[in-house]
Amino acid sequence: MNLTDILPFLIPLAIAQFALLILALRHILTHKHYKLGNRTLWILVVIIGMQFIGPILYFLLGKEDA
Amino acid sequence: MRAFLAFTKKEWLELIRTGKCVLLLILFTLFGIMNPAIAKLTPWMMKMLSADLSDMGLILTETNVDALTSWAQFYKNIPMGLLLFLLLFGGILTTEYQRGTLVHMLTKSLKRWKVILAKAGVMVSAWTLCYWLCFGITYGYNQYFWDNRAAEHLLFAAFCTYLGGIWMISLLLLMSVIFTTSSGVLAATGGAALSFYLAGFIPKITEYLPVRLLGASGMLSGLETPNDYRYAVWITLCLSGAAVLLAVKLFNRK
Amino acid sequence: MDVLTLSHVSRSFGRHQAVKDLSFSVPEHSVYGFIGPNGAGKTTTMKLILGLLKMDGGEITVHGQTVRYGQNNTNQYIGYLPDVPEFYGFLTPLEYLRLCGEVTGIPKRELTSRSEELLELVGLKNSNKRIQGFSRGMKQRLGIAQALLNRPKLLICDEPTSALDPAGRKEILEILQSVRKYAAVLFSTHILTDVERICDEIAFLHKGTLAFRGTMEDIRTLRNGRGFQAEFHRKEDAEKFSDAFLGKQENDSLLVTCEGKTQEDMLRAMAYLAENQISPRRIEMLETTLEHLFMEVIGR
Repeated sequence: MNLTDILPFLIPLAIAQFALLILALRHILTHKHYKLGNRTLWILVVIIGMQFIGPILYFLLGKEDA
Repeated sequence: MRAFLAFTKKEWLELIRTGKCVLLLILFTLFGIMNPAIAKLTPWMMKMLSADLSDMGLILTETNVDALTSWAQFYKNIPMGLLLFLLLFGGILTTEYQRGTLVHMLTKSLKRWKVILAKAGVMVSAWTLCYWLCFGITYGYNQYFWDNRAAEHLLFAAFCTYLGGIWMISLLLLMSVIFTTSSGVLAATGGAALSFYLAGFIPKITEYLPVRLLGASGMLSGLETPNDYRYAVWITLCLSGAAVLLAVKLFNRK
Repeated sequence: MDVLTLSHVSRSFGRHQAVKDLSFSVPEHSVYGFIGPNGAGKTTTMKLILGLLKMDGGEITVHGQTVRYGQNNTNQYIGYLPDVPEFYGFLTPLEYLRLCGEVTGIPKRELTSRSEELLELVGLKNSNKRIQGFSRGMKQRLGIAQALLNRPKLLICDEPTSALDPAGRKEILEILQSVRKYAAVLFSTHILTDVERICDEIAFLHKGTLAFRGTMEDIRTLRNGRGFQAEFHRKEDAEKFSDAFLGKQENDSLLVTCEGKTQEDMLRAMAYLAENQISPRRIEMLETTLEHLFMEVIGR
């Protein structure tokens, strides 16, 4: 196991997770109402929530339907 | 035709502007990367484990990883992706009649079948995009690290599972017409899928069931041949078509 | 010519009769007020006209064509605005109107100019925001624009003003009045001042039946003849006046009511007051307001 083996995964994974995080955060900050919970809760969930589990939870449970 | 295209365009705009499209693309990209990543990490994890296990007197043989390991991960993870996909689309019709946005369209003499077909079309295209994106990423990694030739009937197997997804989407659409809340729709879709899954335990009919397609990985190792899936493919195609037709019929009466 | 005719229409939900034997018609280019307390069957009637509900009996014609449940070809003559209109929040007003126009099949070149014209009419021309940030009044106005898009002969509005503040209400009423140029307007409400302000004809609906129907002229004639009322500074004046005009003086108060008298009667009373050097605090005709009618109609 060496670095060159993991890097091809690590870089895109990091980018995708980061994109997801930004997407979720931007959505939370531009909306006032959520299906469940409040803004602080969702920000915490999205940041702490194990990379991409948090954002997914937010989009499934927190985001109001447009 | 123009009305249908306009409504389809609206559905796409909805997907894009509500962020669902980006979300789905990111998710399926993640899935696509995870499959080979997990495969690649397997020997390393095994080594860690075997250190512990050998203390307890167990000895693990050296694990051999190839494209098949990665593809096995693909077939293990894709139902999860499908689940998320369906969860995101659970309200595709119900939120429209709960909020009353569809009434405007229908009073403007938009034909009801166009609504259903536009929604079906958008879901199928989104699924196509997401699924083959995920497949393509895994394929690329596999080709880079190992050799995809290890897997037999690769495309056909992938097509089977893809078709299984389409069948679930048609079920979701049918349930969307029958039920009025998105939780009802999801529960009913899940219930229907579960009953098919349970029916799969009856050996005589398992060959004919659409759920069989979701686990088409048996072909890769050469244990099964495309011929074994022939009935399931045709039946799934018919069932999906029937579900959409029934959805149109029922929606006309609503 | 009548744009809309209902004859002997009825519809029930289970055992509850929502609409019973309802008949009326709406002439072209008029504003028709459809009044009734909540639950009188206004919304049900509108849904019947739109073919969204099935009739139990009777017939509805729109622009000479019979309405059939589920087949919405009569809807090409109708623009409909629901009470709290909801639109796709991710579109802008212009995009929304375009979607509507394309669904209805308006030619492309006409659609652009018409959308802009209508957005100007309802005062949303410079709004490039997405609809999800709109206030109720703005949604209502967009609702009117989308309803007028296919040049309907009839605009049906379900309680267009009830969710709005007074300023927003005034705007909507003004827009509805200017809509008369394009189409007949049928709108339901339980706010009587709305009706007095803009309607040509009204229909009172109570418990699913038509309790009263008439033009605003009819109502104005009804107003005469309810009598007049005078109030005085001194008790003896009140008594004298009461005797002379067969009025009713309530418990020795300074207020005299003469019921059933006409305007001519009041003029004579004023002459009498002048002759006898009595100065009243006030003297006025009793008007039949819609409120009176409303209360009479629903039997309170």
